[in-house]
Amino acid sequence: MSALPLHGVRVLDLGQFIAMPFCTQWLAWAGADVIIVESRKHLTGRASPPWPPGLEGDPDATGYTNLLNGSKKSCAIDLSAPAGRELVRRLARSCDVMVDNFSTGVLEKLGLGYDDITRYRPDIIMLSSGAFGREGPLKDAMGFHSAVNLFSGLADVTGYPGGHGRILGGVTPDPLGGVYCVFAIVAALHHRRRTGEGQYIDVAMYELMLPLFPEAIIDWMLNGREPTRIGNRDREKAPHGIYPCRAADTWIAISIGGDDEWRQFCGVARHPEWATDPRFADVLARHASADALDAAVESWTRRHAVRTAVTRLQRRGIAAAPVLRTDELLADPQLRALGVVVENDHPKGGRRLQLGIPWRMDSLDLRYRRAPLLGEHTRDVLTELAGVTEEEYRTLAAGGVLS
Amino acid sequence: MVPASEQEPGGGRDGPFTGLKVVELGEGTAAPYAAKLLGDFGAEVVKVEPPAGDPARRRGPFPGDRPDHERSGLFLYLNTNKRGLTLDPACVAARAVLDRLLGWADVFVTNVTPEQLRRYDVAPLTLRAAHPRLVVVTITPFGLHGPYAAWRGDELTTYAAGGLAYSTPGMPDAAEDLEREPPLHPACFVAETITGTVAATASALALFGRFQTDDGCHVDVSQQAAVAAIQQRDVTVASYTGARYTRLLDPRVIGRLPNFYLPCKDGYVAIAAPADAHWTRLVEAMGSPRWALDEKFDTGAARIANWQELRFRLIEWTMQNTGDEIYRIAESLRMPLFPFYSLRRMAESEHVRTRGTFVTCERDGVPFRMPGQPIRMSRSPGGLRRVAPRLGEHTWEILHDWLGYEADAIGRLRASGAA
Repeated sequence: MSALPLHGVRVLDLGQFIAMPFCTQWLAWAGADVIIVESRKHLTGRASPPWPPGLEGDPDATGYTNLLNGSKKSCAIDLSAPAGRELVRRLARSCDVMVDNFSTGVLEKLGLGYDDITRYRPDIIMLSSGAFGREGPLKDAMGFHSAVNLFSGLADVTGYPGGHGRILGGVTPDPLGGVYCVFAIVAALHHRRRTGEGQYIDVAMYELMLPLFPEAIIDWMLNGREPTRIGNRDREKAPHGIYPCRAADTWIAISIGGDDEWRQFCGVARHPEWATDPRFADVLARHASADALDAAVESWTRRHAVRTAVTRLQRRGIAAAPVLRTDELLADPQLRALGVVVENDHPKGGRRLQLGIPWRMDSLDLRYRRAPLLGEHTRDVLTELAGVTEEEYRTLAAGGVLS
Repeated sequence: MVPASEQEPGGGRDGPFTGLKVVELGEGTAAPYAAKLLGDFGAEVVKVEPPAGDPARRRGPFPGDRPDHERSGLFLYLNTNKRGLTLDPACVAARAVLDRLLGWADVFVTNVTPEQLRRYDVAPLTLRAAHPRLVVVTITPFGLHGPYAAWRGDELTTYAAGGLAYSTPGMPDAAEDLEREPPLHPACFVAETITGTVAATASALALFGRFQTDDGCHVDVSQQAAVAAIQQRDVTVASYTGARYTRLLDPRVIGRLPNFYLPCKDGYVAIAAPADAHWTRLVEAMGSPRWALDEKFDTGAARIANWQELRFRLIEWTMQNTGDEIYRIAESLRMPLFPFYSLRRMAESEHVRTRGTFVTCERDGVPFRMPGQPIRMSRSPGGLRRVAPRLGEHTWEILHDWLGYEADAIGRLRASGAA
């Protein structure tokens, strides 16, 4: 058994919705001891679908939470009670990292801001994530992933030719933001190890969307050119597109840059005349005749099942792949072979598959465990880490602070 | 043999990875972005480029659209804070240099193809044996083993195989026609950038693990898996209910409503009011029209059952307002409603200016404005210390000053085409 990268790191997780829990789930999988602070009185993710049939509304059964909180502990504390907030401060004393994605100012109002917490734990690493960040004129604007998408400008390079801007799928700002938060926290742990200093980290989710499209941003800044939407085409490669296959709503992605690959494609498609067609002679010609080119490619893809087409093209060294639906990812033989499809067996949620950490390490381990029930570890966490006595615990529980 | 990391005039401040040494053998976006993240946050990065240069040098955008491999905006963005060493790893002599350089490094990050890893003699097993404390990060389209390991792949195909193509356009936007609005790829390097972020994160974790093990690590990053791993919401729905997300406007798959992307007087707005409290405030914002008080929209379940009518009613309201008017209402009522910003409007906004979201890199007197640090660290902010290297700019410095090659040895490397 090898070591977990974050063995010995303790994280206090005040996160909600997707972005922050996604981050702390990766931290927990990488070996950090992650403690969620949550309350039955203020449910967010635990009040959201999907639920298994017959358990609708059960806060312990929802997939929204259970597939975001693997390997963590749950400590039920009501933050609206002063005694609850005091417990968080006491817990923070034994934590290395504290994270939240409340609206700007909420944590400070609760007396749990960076300046409050550093009195208890001077070298704490504290990270706050939000759509617009904790500084700037929009810091108080409310926004989920949709606002991040709309503000970032990414929609300007996403869309069908001549159409309006479209939204990148999969609520990308949330989980991608989660990955950046993992990066930031591990970076801050490196800094603390070298200098002894903790710090505050401000994550504005729109800012981490900008590295996705630097070409368009720099072109605007440099040449004053506003982006145009070009569908699935590329400025260099052609053909470069997503083409329909035989069954309804099944698709193949094909990307061809070089003329050799194009000739190989023509061979696979049994259309040798395309290889000598002057409209498709080289990449410049193929760009100039992109509509005819796409029609030709599509006339072949439409006659085949996705897997057959992909296999034939890959055999000739052409970059082609199935367009997988998200439900198909869980069954994908490649993701399974890499160990990326993992099981989360939960007493209420059932045995479920999900996608874990997308890399393998030869000398370090990862740890996949089920998500906790709400408040499952309250007693252990408070008595072991916050110095709460049995008597105090009973008083707090009776006062409704631990619900 | 290696100089302390020197700060250039007006350069960035201390970063969390100050003192860490990274060698990148990368092209395009994925590995260069991973190394950039480490470099922008303090690491010393050497970029190894073949004599023809990283293809990003040929991509632009160029000032005045005049191609010049030293003035490609994409290259200048992806390669900040790096020194450049030109080596042709296809030459045996160059591989000896690379090996010496890897003896200096903490991290080696690359996205050359699996065949090139073997051909250049930098396969993970080889490197782990030769440099036991080195963290070796390989980025390949599908990972180094498994049924697709030998598949060719690029930005588009890994994006598609990672599930993101099928779900784009995504919520709260959507397609109207599955056939005529195919799965969509934005005209930028989404899969590669996500993978670069993932690879930088993996590097930081493996290095942190090294404090315990005192052992290096091979990190096998799959670009397909990196994209797939962030498909959290739709995979959850599939895993729990078997329901598939389609691109069609069927927000019932997602859950609570309204959560729409709707036309307004001067563009588009996102209207999100998922919780009952939000809905109550939205009804108030619309001036409590009679339709909104109907029991058809009274509860979350009712709003889902009648979502089509809900959407049309909301459009009647949004079309009477501009995006900014709707945003002002949202602001006063603390609602997550937000208008579409064009790239231009975002870039010119007061918020972006105040936060200093963009930084300037100057090349040959031309200022290139580009995104700065994507996260803000108060004590170890890092930042811009040096502009991206010219092709081979630091070859002499690295070979002679760092690695101790004599002038005549460097001459031989140059003559043979290795450097």
